[in-house]
Amino acid sequence: MATEVILPRVDMDMEVGKIGKWFFEEGARVEQGQPLFEIETSKAAMEIESPATGLLRLVAKTGDELPVGSVVGWIYASDEAFQASATATAEKPAQKPAESVQQPPSQVPAPPEVVENKAEMPGPGSRATPLARRLARERGVDLKTLSGSGPKGRIQAKDVLTVETESSSFAGETSLHRLWLSRGKDAPPIVFLHGFGADLNAWRGLAGALSRTRPILALDLPGHGRSPLNGRADLEEIADAVEATLVEEGLLSFHLVGHSLGGGIAATIAQRPSITVRSLTLISPAGLGPDINDAFFAGFLRARSEESLRPWMRLLVHDESALGPALVKTTLRQRKELPILSSQETLTAALFPDGTQSFSIRRLIKDIRIPTKVIFGLDDRIIPARHAFGLPGFVGLHLFSQVGHMPHFEVRNEIAHLIEEAAAAGDQSPARGHQ
Amino acid sequence: MSTLKSVDHMDTPVRELSFAQAIQEALAIALERDERVFLMGEDIGVYGGAFQVTGDLVQRFGEDRVMDTPISELGGAGVAVGAALTGMRPVFEFQFSDFCSLAMEQIVNQAAKLRYMLGGAVSVPLVFRMPTGSGTGAAAQHSQSLEAWFAHVPGLKVVEPSTPQDAKGLLLAAIADPDPILFFEHKLLYKTKGPVPEGYYTIPLDKAEVRRPGQHVTIAASSIMTHRALDASDKLASEGIEAEVLDLRSLRPLDMEAIKTSVKKTTRLLCVYEGVKTLGIGAEVSAAVAESEAFDFLDAPILRLGGAETPIPYSPGLEKAAVPQVDDVVDAVRKLIRGAV
Repeated sequence: MATEVILPRVDMDMEVGKIGKWFFEEGARVEQGQPLFEIETSKAAMEIESPATGLLRLVAKTGDELPVGSVVGWIYASDEAFQASATATAEKPAQKPAESVQQPPSQVPAPPEVVENKAEMPGPGSRATPLARRLARERGVDLKTLSGSGPKGRIQAKDVLTVETESSSFAGETSLHRLWLSRGKDAPPIVFLHGFGADLNAWRGLAGALSRTRPILALDLPGHGRSPLNGRADLEEIADAVEATLVEEGLLSFHLVGHSLGGGIAATIAQRPSITVRSLTLISPAGLGPDINDAFFAGFLRARSEESLRPWMRLLVHDESALGPALVKTTLRQRKELPILSSQETLTAALFPDGTQSFSIRRLIKDIRIPTKVIFGLDDRIIPARHAFGLPGFVGLHLFSQVGHMPHFEVRNEIAHLIEEAAAAGDQSPARGHQ
Repeated sequence: MSTLKSVDHMDTPVRELSFAQAIQEALAIALERDERVFLMGEDIGVYGGAFQVTGDLVQRFGEDRVMDTPISELGGAGVAVGAALTGMRPVFEFQFSDFCSLAMEQIVNQAAKLRYMLGGAVSVPLVFRMPTGSGTGAAAQHSQSLEAWFAHVPGLKVVEPSTPQDAKGLLLAAIADPDPILFFEHKLLYKTKGPVPEGYYTIPLDKAEVRRPGQHVTIAASSIMTHRALDASDKLASEGIEAEVLDLRSLRPLDMEAIKTSVKKTTRLLCVYEGVKTLGIGAEVSAAVAESEAFDFLDAPILRLGGAETPIPYSPGLEKAAVPQVDDVVDAVRKLIRGAV
């Protein structure tokens, strides 16, 4: 299935060869016969062509000196083969991706490392954009340790920024777990951020009610679902991780929807310069007022059985049937399978100490100039709906009676309609101005 | 073609005028305000100008102030330079900007140099109006974009408006300016419409304008290419790419501050211009950015999209292919964003 890429003998008396440079990055699609890498011998440099067509997986790094005949890489014939192993890794967040993603059958390359406080001038051989070079210089990142995502492996700003994220708060994890719930096209995507204690699966029902023409991406917040809490339990830092994940996913311009804690994070990243948020829909968002239901957090986190958890989860909704038959069970099962409970305790203590919301998004919303909606259920028993009052007049406020903290469960079609309305307005409106 | 709606900070009423009407209104206001102003050019009197820009101005202001000149660009331009030296404020229309090559001595060697040669004792307050560009099926000798020739000459200023409002304000500023100015009017823009304030106003001759904010790529353009860049940006927006369109307006002096500010924000630069790509305006913009502190903000190579290396062909299909079109801009931006260059 996969074809070996061998370090060939290009010279009569050649014993070892050095990889001068790779012309493609890890995961790139290469065609048979395209120049793949360059060998430097004691006498000359030569380009070696790809033996096959497919996806490239690197074994040897630029600069490695290897005996003739060594496997320096693999060409995977089909997308499935390559993605199968990549996905397997993504599903095991406890494992370090550097070890498994890049692990071909033979040699194991050293994982990329960040050299701290020691900026080296990149050699003439490293291809990097001026911006990437400056960022690397400022942040003390050694460009030689990076593989570029640009053409012919050129290092771009995002490659440096990704390392930065890894080294600060998400060491070993490049980004948060995320899932495309819909692969629509021809429209800016919608990104969903779930609330405290939930995970990206919370959006599946709503996603089904949305038009299929739009791509839909949902993220697991740190300490939730399959995203471990690697950084501090700090709103800004969580927002950083979300932003970095979206940038890594290649999302430059999108609509953003957040529920509860996810709403607070959505408002926090909405005006960050690396991304364009075209519309913002905040469902029962945190960060608009001081108080939050302390007892819910205590009970929700302490409960260990269906009998003890169900009464607390009932608080989330006006009518219990909106929760569906399985949500309590899945919540418990997930706590057994994934090490999230202690992370969620840490998050509660930091973000909602003593029944207080420790952060405010009011200032952020005041400055915002994109189509923005705030949605509350009047019977919200976690965050009181009155917190939504006193927002700027151009923020659309939608209040639903006989609805609790989970409008996207309780009045799903109405929420889908509102999100599409905001997205349509965001599609039309010009990009966020800086004038 | 996209409609450009500039933010209007003036209190005067605004109407919709064509680009040609806006220029005619600027000429009429200048003739009314300042008795030193007069117009010269071939067929600009009774005939109203080859593109009907001067229209009925000869009826309103008389043949002393709207003067038909013989078919001698060198002679006409020489008279205009001489009149400017004596304190008049002539506006000289070339029927097609291509014909300026007949008058290069007067423009480049006289108008541009006299202030310097005479130690500042004189100035040459003179505007050359230059109907320019391709797209009219007028073939190689009537379709060129020669702005870069003049932007290369110290002592000249080169202006290239994209909207009726700018055409009026920049032309009035050019007429009020003490030095010689080449005022390029793209022939395909003459019939385009846009809001134009009434009365007298000027727009600075050294300021670019952001026509559309965006943060993924800067498209530096002028004149008709501003419109093509905006149309391209609308297409790109549906792909999630937000282009910032910077209308240069003046090519000499170039508003480098505005260009650098935009590039620092977007980290990518595409220069779009109708003139031949090699040694064109985009070459200057690219090089100036690469030389500046904005270099360290570039996350992709700078791209130029200019006219083909050919005389403008007569065949309509080839004529179109010889200058950047909307889809060419879209493709170039995609290349920049997706890292294909």
